[in-house]
Amino acid sequence: MHDSLRRIAYVLMIAAAISGCSEKAQLDAAQQSGSGPSLPDQRNFLVPPMQVPDFAGWKDGQTPKVAAGMHIEKIAGDLKHPRQLLVLPNGDVLVVESNGPGSEAVTTPKQLIANSVKNRSGKGAKGGNRITLLRKNGSGAWEKHVFIENLHSPFGVQLIGDAIYVANTDAIFKFPYQTGDTEIKAPGTEFADLPNTVNHHWTKALLASPDGTKLYVGVGSNSNVGENGLEVEYRRAVVLEIDVATRGSRVFASGIRNPTGLQWEPVTGKLWAIANERDEIGADLVPDYLTSVRDGGFYGWPYSYYGQNVDSRVKAQRPDLVAKAIKPDYAMGSHVAVLGLWFSANNSLPDKYHGGAFVAEHGSWDRSPLSGYAVVFVPFKDGSPAGPPETVVSGFYSDDEKHLFGAPVGLAQDADGALLIADDVGNAVWRLASDAH
Amino acid sequence: MRPHVEPHRSVIAAAIFGIFNPIPFGCFVAGFVFDVVYFRTGEILWDKAAAWSIALGLVCAIVPRLINLSQVWITSRRWSTGADRFDFVLNLIAIVLAIVNSFVHSRDAYASMPAGVWLSALTVFLLIISHATSAVRAARQAYGHA
Repeated sequence: MHDSLRRIAYVLMIAAAISGCSEKAQLDAAQQSGSGPSLPDQRNFLVPPMQVPDFAGWKDGQTPKVAAGMHIEKIAGDLKHPRQLLVLPNGDVLVVESNGPGSEAVTTPKQLIANSVKNRSGKGAKGGNRITLLRKNGSGAWEKHVFIENLHSPFGVQLIGDAIYVANTDAIFKFPYQTGDTEIKAPGTEFADLPNTVNHHWTKALLASPDGTKLYVGVGSNSNVGENGLEVEYRRAVVLEIDVATRGSRVFASGIRNPTGLQWEPVTGKLWAIANERDEIGADLVPDYLTSVRDGGFYGWPYSYYGQNVDSRVKAQRPDLVAKAIKPDYAMGSHVAVLGLWFSANNSLPDKYHGGAFVAEHGSWDRSPLSGYAVVFVPFKDGSPAGPPETVVSGFYSDDEKHLFGAPVGLAQDADGALLIADDVGNAVWRLASDAH
Repeated sequence: MRPHVEPHRSVIAAAIFGIFNPIPFGCFVAGFVFDVVYFRTGEILWDKAAAWSIALGLVCAIVPRLINLSQVWITSRRWSTGADRFDFVLNLIAIVLAIVNSFVHSRDAYASMPAGVWLSALTVFLLIISHATSAVRAARQAYGHA
């Protein structure tokens, strides 16, 4: 029944697409990045702009393209949907292999179609529900060890003292860790529960405070723009703050549709986040963003976007909240799907990549031509973005935009100051290093 | 629904038509009611209910519409009257509107309004005319007033 419904829906969709209901993007990434992105008017479509490359994967020896002065190598392959990275103090690299729990019920005819279209790219492949540890041995090769298994759609991972905290989609688990461990056999204990209904956006980004007393959790919304009812949005589209000693939590900031990466900005010590904004109101709306996160701040979702731009798709509007909606600091471009954030005051890459933020863009589906599918660098000065984003790693899809080799997600910096990139479509971890080293 | 069944006509086709033809009408009426409720309340359940009703109505309309198409324009073309062709066109427009409406209902949350409720109302209006005129013709023929 599902299959035949889907076939009928496909035919209808193609017919509508041919009849010209969609549109091409009018603005390029440069016009939609920085502190003052151009925002066209909100539009509603019969079929939203949609372009999804088919999964191809990397051929042997094939790599992403990198900016001048650097080279890239694959340090691990055959992973199961690697999403996030954490470098431990001894230089070991944790790779979280995961994908969504697939527990979101189909409650609209649209979901039948949309899910199958989006999954053509390989982004929907099954995750490993485990953490793999990579260790560079004496000969310079990277060994692979299964570190923690039987997780439940994990995403964020942090180390505080002698404990590893893993943010599964439903709860944070705590595991005992000794420096040098390549495997944790001890069962984890549940540390704190997390919002777990629907899990439309299932990733739970995790960041410990430098003093180890607080954990910050990025919790995405349960819908694009409230179409599952606002009652399932309790403690959603927020950054939660959990007190490590008491395990008590509170909403630190709200209205951030899908905060997929949290990091401390090294100059000011402020909390920054990357966030994915809403879809289906235009190829050039709404830019995903990089922003500082203020305690108690409200960033608009679902009522408004990019400050006070009211989204007419929400029936019960809240002008009181819209009035105090904070405009994000820095736009990354529409639909680029920011999924990895790494602030790097210092590293072994060329000088121009010191003092700024690397951002991994997993890539668009609600836009033509494609956008994102790259790792970019946003230069910072005195704790604020200062200049347009520069592409550092690209070449994740074929020139004709039909085939997808990989897609960047989590970022980290290894002990030698090289940038590590998790690639959940290519099932690899890449290491970007300077030619000078 | 057919006012005069010609002797050569397939009994099976008539039976299948009789079973399926009322279903889309019921679905679209339900969709219209749900749309009115959603338009007034913004309660998301009714938007989803309308989306499913319209989609189900369209799927169930495929077989009876194909039977009607072939009877009016191909197999029974010689016997089809102006009233039959009018009825065909009414249904065709209603189905096209419902297809557009199913796309409108694929929009998130209140973006389906107000277009959704208007399209539902028009679809139901056209099918009311179709079903009412067909019923009147059938009645006239049965009582010999035709």
